[in-house]
Amino acid sequence: MDLKPLILLSPELFLSFLGLLLLVWEAFFPKTRRAFVIVSVMGLLAAVLYLAQMYISRALPWAGAFGVLPNPGTTGWIQYGVVLGMESVDSLSVFFKIVILLSVILVLCLSLDYHEFADAPMGTYASLLLFGTVGMMLLVGSVDFLMAVISLELVSIPSFILTGFMVHRGSSNEGAIKFFLVGTFSTALLLFGLSYYYGYFGSTGIEPLLQGIGNNGKPDLVFSLILIFILAGLGFKLAMVPFHMWAPDAYEGAPTPVTAFLSVAPKAAGIGFLLRILINHVDLNLTPVLAVLSALTMTVGNIGALHQTNVKRLMAYSSIAQVGYILAALTAAVVAVGDLGSQAVMVYTFLYVFMNLGVFAVLILVSNQTRSDEITTFAGLSKTSFGLAMALAVFLLSLTGIPPMAGFVGKFALFAALMKNTGLVWLGVVAVVNSVISLYYYFRIVREVFFCEPQEPARPLVFSPALICCVVATLAVTLALGVFPGPFLNWVRTVVGI
Amino acid sequence: MNSPGLLSFLVFLPLVGSGILLFSQKENARLHRVIAAIFSGLPFVVSLWMMSQFNSGVSGMQFVEKLPWISSFHIEYHLGIDGLSFPLLLLTTLLSFISIIASFSIDKRTKEYFFWFLLLETGMVGLFVALDFFLFYVFWEITLVPMYFLIGIWGGPKKEYAAIKFFLFTLFGSVFMLLAMLALYFASGTGLPGSERTFDLIRLAELASKGQLHLAGVSAMMVFLGLYLAFAIKIPAFPFHTWLPLAHVEAPTPVSVILAGVLLKMGIYGILRISYPILPEATRQFLPVLIVIATINIVYGAFCAMAQKDMKRMVAYSSVNHMGYCLLGMAAVMGNPNAAHAGLSGAILQMITHGLITGSLFLIVGVIYDRAHTRDIDAFGGLATKIPLFAGVMIIQAMASLGLPGLAGFVSEFLCFLGAFGGNFNGHHFSLFAGISVIGILVTAAFFLKMIKLVLLGEFNPKWEGKMPDLTIREMVTLFPLVALTIVLGVYPSLVLNLMDDAVGNIIRFVSGQF
Repeated sequence: MDLKPLILLSPELFLSFLGLLLLVWEAFFPKTRRAFVIVSVMGLLAAVLYLAQMYISRALPWAGAFGVLPNPGTTGWIQYGVVLGMESVDSLSVFFKIVILLSVILVLCLSLDYHEFADAPMGTYASLLLFGTVGMMLLVGSVDFLMAVISLELVSIPSFILTGFMVHRGSSNEGAIKFFLVGTFSTALLLFGLSYYYGYFGSTGIEPLLQGIGNNGKPDLVFSLILIFILAGLGFKLAMVPFHMWAPDAYEGAPTPVTAFLSVAPKAAGIGFLLRILINHVDLNLTPVLAVLSALTMTVGNIGALHQTNVKRLMAYSSIAQVGYILAALTAAVVAVGDLGSQAVMVYTFLYVFMNLGVFAVLILVSNQTRSDEITTFAGLSKTSFGLAMALAVFLLSLTGIPPMAGFVGKFALFAALMKNTGLVWLGVVAVVNSVISLYYYFRIVREVFFCEPQEPARPLVFSPALICCVVATLAVTLALGVFPGPFLNWVRTVVGI
Repeated sequence: MNSPGLLSFLVFLPLVGSGILLFSQKENARLHRVIAAIFSGLPFVVSLWMMSQFNSGVSGMQFVEKLPWISSFHIEYHLGIDGLSFPLLLLTTLLSFISIIASFSIDKRTKEYFFWFLLLETGMVGLFVALDFFLFYVFWEITLVPMYFLIGIWGGPKKEYAAIKFFLFTLFGSVFMLLAMLALYFASGTGLPGSERTFDLIRLAELASKGQLHLAGVSAMMVFLGLYLAFAIKIPAFPFHTWLPLAHVEAPTPVSVILAGVLLKMGIYGILRISYPILPEATRQFLPVLIVIATINIVYGAFCAMAQKDMKRMVAYSSVNHMGYCLLGMAAVMGNPNAAHAGLSGAILQMITHGLITGSLFLIVGVIYDRAHTRDIDAFGGLATKIPLFAGVMIIQAMASLGLPGLAGFVSEFLCFLGAFGGNFNGHHFSLFAGISVIGILVTAAFFLKMIKLVLLGEFNPKWEGKMPDLTIREMVTLFPLVALTIVLGVYPSLVLNLMDDAVGNIIRFVSGQF
């Protein structure tokens, strides 16, 4: 067996090692709480830099020594190679790996000063996040369903534990149990579909699927059924309607940084994998199914969010809706390969990570002081901290899709992809009506912030450098990519190889 | 005449001001007022200076600025003005400055107030100078957010409801504009070299006039309706007008001035700048509907205004009526050339005069409200003898609004009607609708005269004895320029009409397809 290509997975190997190291370290020095988080952040940053370097110089460091040379395809698209027939390292997976790593870095920064974590075992926490990260990174590169299932589990199991991380709080346990039951059920569903897949093609690799044909050269009923099972299994993980019921409870119960994590990183990974397997499947008649699912997902998410009074539940429904938009872009990507659709998927996912984590950063800063996740926790924020209030307004405007915030660029790319395919214009109409609905509940938060009076004599917020850094970083991305999205859009185009 | 960067300077000066405000001390209201006055006054002075540089003999865009912005979608930062947008630009900078002065009475959260106000000005100015559809859309949406906060924080009793209703209504329209805009983009080319797609409004109009826009029949109509929805909500054209009275009544006085004076014009401007030249065929098919909507706006708006007890509501509904005149003039575009020219000129002039007149009427109602804390039309009487300056201003502006010859309102309304009487579509004359619309003028006269009678004449209500001082210096500063302009434009309308002659001719040529 040729193990040389494993060098391609050095970031994943490095992060797994770091996770194990943290566990051992905590066993001996449990008091160094902040050090665990800081070391993990450094490790993740190193991985980001490594991947960025890999992308920019279009070559691996020391790759020549291992005999791994990149294969630059058409403009910008890079295929480094496939590891053991299981993991493809190419510009698509590198892109999503960077998104995942950046979101986990932000989540770790959010966790540093979270009030519920005051005496939590942060070494365990950080290492669980790292294992989850490795799982997500492997998922986006999987070219074999077996690998995909294993990496999905590598994300799911740490996610269950992290959701129940507040062992003494009932709601945290409740959320974890619900999440666990639904999660294992969805894995079973996925595996059931895959057993048919194996029987159908005699292989667990995704190549037959990519070629888009069954045994007789045409997709048949069994094949469609297989795809539905796969879609349902992944749909649970993405909280796609009708598989979304677990999300609000799990999100509400989980500690807020974990909620932030669940709302972005696993979704980005799932979307990345779906994009890999579903792209260019115009002959599978999958478009109507996906289109209807995405329309349902955004509508149910948005309508569910309208009357939530808990910010975390509200954000849970909001993230369901946001996934709906991404699925709409994915639908467009299924129709035409390497076109605006896949570009929109990536643009939206990337920008969504930052604006959503921005909201959570402000929520944690505020709830550290108020100890409440109800929507009234934000009452009068503009009086106590005007800068933070403005930042929150920017994030929420961005989630709604109002220019010149980054969210608008994502929506714009999405609508462009939908309007280009005349068959999907109706989905575009559903999506725009949904953005109007979403304005109502996002602005219920804005209303609290700007129109209401602070509940008690306003105390100044607890100052936390890590959280402020998060707010500033996400705000910078949300504004900069909103006003000057040109270079970013061009980069994404090179990733999909347009 | 080209001064590079001049328009950008105009657009972003208020933004710089709002940035500076963000870093100013929270309590220093005087400082906030000074900053706001400077950063809204300077654009006004610059735009006045531009009037001397603007060449009304040139057909096409002036002061053009063009920079690449988002290359993957061929989006450009493209600014320029012509005879259609320049008068509106002047109106915007003037009314913004005056509203900022009128806002000096606000003493609650001044820093935020002026921050949002200056941001709003950037959005409004940017909208009127943007020549790229994407840029236009960005500025269109930028105006929504400050308006939401200005109504929601500083407004009246039902401010929060009014604010979110305003935001939801306009956003609902504008998202359809976004879809329509993308449809135009994909219709503008194949995306292959030599046939690049574009968001450039000038280029799109050219393509349409050459028949190279791949959009026809039903799909062109759908795109037109998408755009129309956005613009109609903003105008507001019947039946999308329900947000307007609420927003106007709840908004603080200076915000009402901007709302009526500038924001409503964005809808008309959008139709004239985008729908008319780019979708001429759909426009022609839509004209019979437009004339009906115009008539409803005029008559229904006038009757609604007549029924109001609250003076601010009355003025708000009179806006619905006055925007109807704009639509009436615009519907004449396919009539005989002279009528079309009169109608369109009237529509554009009506935007300006309505901005001046209704803007000042809101200020006038604000003056009363500041003193009496009520706007009930029955609560007053005999004010003319107590506060003669105020009474004079109010009478002039009310007369202008009801269309008394010699004042600005008459000229524009007359031109709109002149156009509508000559307008026709496929031989069907619009004169019937123009005739019905005259009822609107009668009713307008009736309710404004009623207002003058009830407020200024008759018995003085002793309740207000000693509580009704005459206009303060600040109120004079805000009102007198508007009154002066109302009179000047009434006597010498060519001042503005000359500016827009060529632009009007261009629009008519685009719509009728005659080159």
